[in-house]
Amino acid sequence: MTRVSEGSSAASLKYSMNKAKAKLEDLQLKGATLKSMTRPSDNPVSNVEVMQLKSMTKDNQQFLRNADFALMQLNVTEKSLEQMTELMVKAKELAIAQSSDLYNPEVRENVSNEVRQMRHMLLGLANKRLGSRYIFGGFKTTEPPFTSEGRYLGDKGHMTLEVSKDFFVQTNLHGSEVFYVDEGFDDKNDHPLKDFQELKQKSAKDARQEQIREIASEESQIEGSDKIRKRENLFSLLDTLATSLENNEPDVIQNLLEKFDTATSRLITLRTRVGSMVSSIENSKNVLESDNIDNAERTSKLVDADIADLFSELTKQQEVLKTTYKSTQGLISQNLLDFMR
Amino acid sequence: MTSLLNIGKTGLHASKKALEVTGHNISNANTEGYSRQKVNQQTNIPVTNDGVLTGTGVRVKSVTRVNDRFVERRLRDTMSNGEYHTNRSDQLSQVEEIFNEIDNEGLNKVLNKFFNSFRDLANQPDNETVRSVVRDNAMLVVKDFKRISSSLEMISKNIDNKVQRDVADINQDTETIANLNRKIRELEAIHEETGDLRDQRDNALKSLATKIKVKTYQDERGNYVVTSPGIGTLVTAAQRQPLKAYQFDKSRSSNGVDGATEVFYEDRPGQHITGNISRGSLEGVLSVRNGEVEELKETVDKIAYNFINFVNAVHKRGFVGRKVEVDANGNPAAYDSKGPTSGINFFKVPTSEKGAAGLIDLSAEVKADLSNISTALAPNSPGDNRVAIAISKLGHERVMDNSTSTLEEMFLKTVGKIGLEAGKARLDAEQSEGLLAQAKSIRERISGVSIDEETANMVKFQHAYEASAKVMQTANEMFDTVIGIKR
Repeated sequence: MTRVSEGSSAASLKYSMNKAKAKLEDLQLKGATLKSMTRPSDNPVSNVEVMQLKSMTKDNQQFLRNADFALMQLNVTEKSLEQMTELMVKAKELAIAQSSDLYNPEVRENVSNEVRQMRHMLLGLANKRLGSRYIFGGFKTTEPPFTSEGRYLGDKGHMTLEVSKDFFVQTNLHGSEVFYVDEGFDDKNDHPLKDFQELKQKSAKDARQEQIREIASEESQIEGSDKIRKRENLFSLLDTLATSLENNEPDVIQNLLEKFDTATSRLITLRTRVGSMVSSIENSKNVLESDNIDNAERTSKLVDADIADLFSELTKQQEVLKTTYKSTQGLISQNLLDFMR
Repeated sequence: MTSLLNIGKTGLHASKKALEVTGHNISNANTEGYSRQKVNQQTNIPVTNDGVLTGTGVRVKSVTRVNDRFVERRLRDTMSNGEYHTNRSDQLSQVEEIFNEIDNEGLNKVLNKFFNSFRDLANQPDNETVRSVVRDNAMLVVKDFKRISSSLEMISKNIDNKVQRDVADINQDTETIANLNRKIRELEAIHEETGDLRDQRDNALKSLATKIKVKTYQDERGNYVVTSPGIGTLVTAAQRQPLKAYQFDKSRSSNGVDGATEVFYEDRPGQHITGNISRGSLEGVLSVRNGEVEELKETVDKIAYNFINFVNAVHKRGFVGRKVEVDANGNPAAYDSKGPTSGINFFKVPTSEKGAAGLIDLSAEVKADLSNISTALAPNSPGDNRVAIAISKLGHERVMDNSTSTLEEMFLKTVGKIGLEAGKARLDAEQSEGLLAQAKSIRERISGVSIDEETANMVKFQHAYEASAKVMQTANEMFDTVIGIKR
């Protein structure tokens, strides 16, 4: 028969009470925070996963901000292109009207003034600002990209933004490709990391992104690259028109018509390109948003406590403690002496 | 009839002695480490009287303590193990708290913020406000690396202090044991009871066992010897070998850290025994100091060092965000009134990987002027965001461990590891707590005082006492009867 001494029963009491209380304490902490983890060691693997998910979510939020920013840029660019197109169409209509001998020099003089005014408006559009930034300046965004003579001072920089992981989108058109004749479309060479050899990711992922980019710009490429090799500077076009109106030279005006056509179709092509960029950004935005929901769900599964489970466990543990107290009562409050009086 | 009186007297004496011991037991019922004592009584040597062998009553042979030294040894070992796990778990839970990002900010979050602020900057490279946000977020990264580094340092220092205290305690315990050894020897030489002193020695041993694992034995000359596995002899009879803890400089410490405390025998300062200590709180804390904390320091330093260097390498390629004079050949001026126009470090260049996390700071240029945060790959291109994008991509780049993991993955791996270690240590601690409770309970079952038992004994001995008194009374009455015959 096991011998029971004061010390052994006290020790076992202390141990069982401590154990019940420690469990209760842990549950209480979880109940108070409603989290299944309060420190990394509670679930090291989930903890790391949650940290990863949190950074991913933060990244995605940033990408969404980037996307909004890119959209704003592109929308303003598109608006400007639209207005330019309208201007050029209108100029062309004027040119058509004036290409015959129907009008006399006085009228042409007046029309010439109108064309000058249009050129002025075009310059305004070329030097369009979004906030403090000139949108057609390439990388030179703080100074007006076009002089009043229509000379381009900017560079051929394409600003790109990361709108989802490793997916970079061009967010601007530089003045040169919009206004100048000999500009091809250069949209494939501006991966922002191409100049950083140390950062070159040669992964399949990258290739895939590259593909998406190509698809995104494909339609525009088809009409883009070859057909419109020759194109007039929009300013010089209007200048020529105005001058020939002043000089009353319908033949010259006649010759300008085709150039107006190409210029207009060029602008439309550019608009299509901007449109496809916008739609690819919208797409990635949607993907990001649904990703965020998935992430939030996964995080919640990992971190948040199962409330029903937690509280039933809590109640159970409270019962256990109560029972421990009760059973303790009989063991420590009485001894043989109580029965010997 | 004299013999009857004598027999009664021996019974009275034995019962009295037994009651004394019972009283001693009861009064020590709650004395830590007390072993209950019992009276060993024996029949007195019988004498032959008129050819009949007659008993002469009872004799108290000895008072001994009820104690099982194997159970004591197991309790001590369990204590050593328990203290090892508990201390390890305590320290590790402090360590893991540094990396707890469940409810608060941590390195992972601030690094993420840092990279995302560069994405913000890529959105608006020409915006001064965003630059200052970038600098603020970089400051947060700096602060957090420093926080981690100094917290780890602090834990290491606290452990050093604990080692000093523990060693002082060990010396006190060994002194107590040596003194008790001497006293026990002296008393045993004159056949005195030494149960209480042995209990005290066991207590001191237990206290010693919480610090380090101990073994005891009696050598061939009967000397009581206390040793610790891995270290050596601590006490031989009344002689003891004091230990000492001392803060050494880097070159002579076992964890390569400046000012780390090492343990050695006081009379052999050249021979460190820090690495040989087994179990107990000492190994518990030392294993964390020289193991996890050290490893974490290295990893965090490595992350900081690589982070700084990669950001700097990319940032250096960029040009400042202000106007740069260009000469006739189109080459940008290398310097202007605010310093160099390119090749600027974002963070201060660390001198070595070791300690990089603690010494991380923004470069003087970035601190001095926001325009020194370079975003452009070409001069005079305020809208050029390529450098900013490249820096922001560093967060996703596999730059660590031979291009197998990103900064974040490397850090998370570390956090995962420390979480696992801490979890394991906590489990071990909980388990050893159970084992300790069990070992204690076994010891108490054997050596502990049971009030019920003592009460029963008290009644028993009291009755015996009364009965012995009765025997003497009877003898007395018999004398009276004999004397009364004459009247």
